[in-house]
Amino acid sequence: MADAPTKTARAEWGTRFGFLMAMIGAMVGAGNIWRFPYVTGNNGGGAFILAFLTLLFLLAAPGLMAEVALGRYTGKGVIGAFRDVVGRGGLVGLGVVVLLVNVALMSYYSPVVGWTLYYAIHSLLFTFTGSGFDPTAFWEGLLENPALMIGLHTVVMGSIAAVLALGIRRGVERLVVYAVPALVLSLLVMTVRGLTLPGATEGIAFVFGVEWEYLTYSSTWITALGQALFSTGLGWGIALTIGSYLREYDDVPLGGGVFTAVGESSIGILAALAIFPVVFATGLEPDEGANLTFISLVQVFPEIPLGGVVAVFFFVGFFLATYTSGLLITEVSVTTLSEETRLSRIQTVLVVCGGIWLLGIPSAYSVDVLDYLDFVFGNWGLPLATLAIIGVIGWKLGPERLRVLSVNRNAGVYVGPWWDPLIKYVIPAVMLFIVAYFAYDEYGTPEMIGGMVVLVTFPLIGYALMSVLEGRDRPGTAEPAGGDD
Amino acid sequence: MALTAEVLAMLAFTLLAFYGVAGWALTRTLRQESRKVEILRHQDRMDTYSPAALEELREWIEENPDDPRVDEARERYNECVDVLRTTDRHFYDWSDEETSRLEPI
Repeated sequence: MADAPTKTARAEWGTRFGFLMAMIGAMVGAGNIWRFPYVTGNNGGGAFILAFLTLLFLLAAPGLMAEVALGRYTGKGVIGAFRDVVGRGGLVGLGVVVLLVNVALMSYYSPVVGWTLYYAIHSLLFTFTGSGFDPTAFWEGLLENPALMIGLHTVVMGSIAAVLALGIRRGVERLVVYAVPALVLSLLVMTVRGLTLPGATEGIAFVFGVEWEYLTYSSTWITALGQALFSTGLGWGIALTIGSYLREYDDVPLGGGVFTAVGESSIGILAALAIFPVVFATGLEPDEGANLTFISLVQVFPEIPLGGVVAVFFFVGFFLATYTSGLLITEVSVTTLSEETRLSRIQTVLVVCGGIWLLGIPSAYSVDVLDYLDFVFGNWGLPLATLAIIGVIGWKLGPERLRVLSVNRNAGVYVGPWWDPLIKYVIPAVMLFIVAYFAYDEYGTPEMIGGMVVLVTFPLIGYALMSVLEGRDRPGTAEPAGGDD
Repeated sequence: MALTAEVLAMLAFTLLAFYGVAGWALTRTLRQESRKVEILRHQDRMDTYSPAALEELREWIEENPDDPRVDEARERYNECVDVLRTTDRHFYDWSDEETSRLEPI
């Protein structure tokens, strides 16, 4: 499609494969690798998969289509896209809300990427298969070493800045077209190794065993809802940003919706097939969360044949999953700010990555801060951002208008009117439910108070900021957001 | 430990539902891209809407004559009609009969 006509000088994905890998790379993160498998096993196995699949097709895929379509339709970053829809004024501040949530999210995600980088490096050094290695001491040693944690956070943000500075096509796309297939290959290698271990079938039975009564539990559906919506990155502004670099002749529903939602979940399934045979073959507890990855799994690598090599594949793959997510989360702010200011792309990258680095220091310094922010932004910040994006599409632009003008334009599959009420009513209602549910569940706790602060202050900050800025003449952009592509 | 038939069935269903759908979507969208490239090499323009989608766009324009984006919608409709009339290769399954019936709005 290199010959396809373009309407602006803005950067575009060089290939459709690059766009698809960017979508998958952005959405597959730590949550898919270690959370999805054990959440499945703890919530009825096959019953949970059915609930998850239903919500994936009912909510996540249509929602992603809407977000990507808005990006392609406006050809702009988050704030520019909101301005196109709501006109100039304080309501553009809803775009600022999305941006603030993204920056906050990345500030504590960067240290997590740092953990995976540290483990990837040590897997390459075969540290985990060395004699006398203590996984718990190693893990605690990392978390209790602020200098090391801040150093890793610095390396992560520095390298992300370097890739983003190269631009969309030369930086982001060139990385993701290799990183995502490498992640899949890594998990495949571990799956093959795991399935050949004695006792591995227990892991399969744990994840895929069907306990039908779980379909009648509300907890199963709420967990599946969270996994389906947040593991696909719906409403974070990432799909909008990636979609804004699509070419006129690209398809939205098939690649931006169906493939992204199902493809990234497929990697979660692959992670289940990779991790749980090993977990059960070696008698580990399956519901250890982050400890499962960073402590339990590490202790079994020396015990299995070729364990050192398997550890390399696993941790390098895990690092690639978290790194590509971090890269694309940061790109949301870079694209938006480079459009909204007179700064060049490189200057914007330095400002954004520098700002995130600074904000991330408390999370790098203390894992308690990281956990607190993760809970607050995971349960209130992300639903708020999703509510802003899907709400603007559903209630201001109108889903039918977006569908006839953009979603079905050059589409690989036709999207019918069934899509409109999902965007206008169902997804916003689900987001409001999530916010209310966690407020009720965490009533009176510091987490709930933090969540309420985010819910109230972020929209106020956005509204006030854009009310002032939109009253002035907007500066022109120094260069297209994609930089030197 | 042997896997029960139910576990095996769920494993097979999951692999089909996730990898089957993801593989189908990936293959189909990449093939469509190749076809688009081929069409654009042959001619510099390409039809932008399927028959069902264009029909719906026309209905929307007729039902929303005062919509602020109706001019844009009309432009997109007419662009597609013009391309269908002036090019010989189409991306969507347009028949000659269907294209001959189309009129700009």
